[in-house]
Amino acid sequence: MLDALFDAAREDVAATPSASLMARVLEDASALQKIAEPGAVQGRRDGFWRALLRNLGGWPSVGGLATAAVAGLWIGIAGSTSQIGSTLGAQVLSGGQDAVLSEFDNSYAFLLD
Amino acid sequence: MDMPYDTQEDIPDDALLVLYANGDAAAARVLTLRLTPRVFSHAYRVLGDRDEAEDVAQEALIRLWKVAPDWRQGEAKVTTWLYRVVANLCTDRLRKARGVALDAVAEPADDARGPAETLLEQARMDALQAALGELPDRQRQAVVLRHIEGLGNPEIAEILEISVEAVESLTARGKRALAAALAGQRAALGYSDD
Repeated sequence: MLDALFDAAREDVAATPSASLMARVLEDASALQKIAEPGAVQGRRDGFWRALLRNLGGWPSVGGLATAAVAGLWIGIAGSTSQIGSTLGAQVLSGGQDAVLSEFDNSYAFLLD
Repeated sequence: MDMPYDTQEDIPDDALLVLYANGDAAAARVLTLRLTPRVFSHAYRVLGDRDEAEDVAQEALIRLWKVAPDWRQGEAKVTTWLYRVVANLCTDRLRKARGVALDAVAEPADDARGPAETLLEQARMDALQAALGELPDRQRQAVVLRHIEGLGNPEIAEILEISVEAVESLTARGKRALAAALAGQRAALGYSDD
């Protein structure tokens, strides 16, 4: 008899939690999860630069961004100085726009024919 | 970066707890759905009162949410830890409630409606609950964990912080006491042919 009662007890709906309890537990979980988030625990407020750094993905991402920025700057400077001594400006002024394109990409060279 | 609900179904409790601590809302949902019924069921069987059991279950889970950021994966089983918290909360409540008539605690809500089968089932559960309510606290906890929650003796020993032999002794004595308490009600509970 006892084993049958134990079996029935496992199926007993009276021992199942109400929907309101489940909702309360989930609410607690959500509220305490916010408190447990890193930063909030230490009570530290991030400054602008620290927040920016975190949003950009931390130091590795910022390192990549810095490299790209420096490379862009170098390309800009190198490109402009190499054009100073060329005849590009004269060609543009004289209407030779096809020649201008060929300066950048040989595939446009056929236009010069 | 919440994971889809269904992919978390097979993740162990401790891994979900780590996900929860990392801000995963879906992990909180899965843990709530998985653990609340077990915690509530145990508290209800031990306390015999739904409202009290709900309070205990909620409090136990609040403690779990709070401990989550410090949880070390693989060190302890989440359910064992949780059952221990529930067991201690129940013991505290029972200690405070001492002096209140036992029948007042164990008296279940009487729905008094539905088919005869439902009524018989209800009578059986009421009788079991009343008999459980007469057991000493530790015996009751051990019997519920072993025979209703279906846990093994080593885990119960960890939960109640006693030896496995002590668990065996508690469950054996508890079962004998329950059998004795219910013996006179066999016919009334529909077990006359057993």
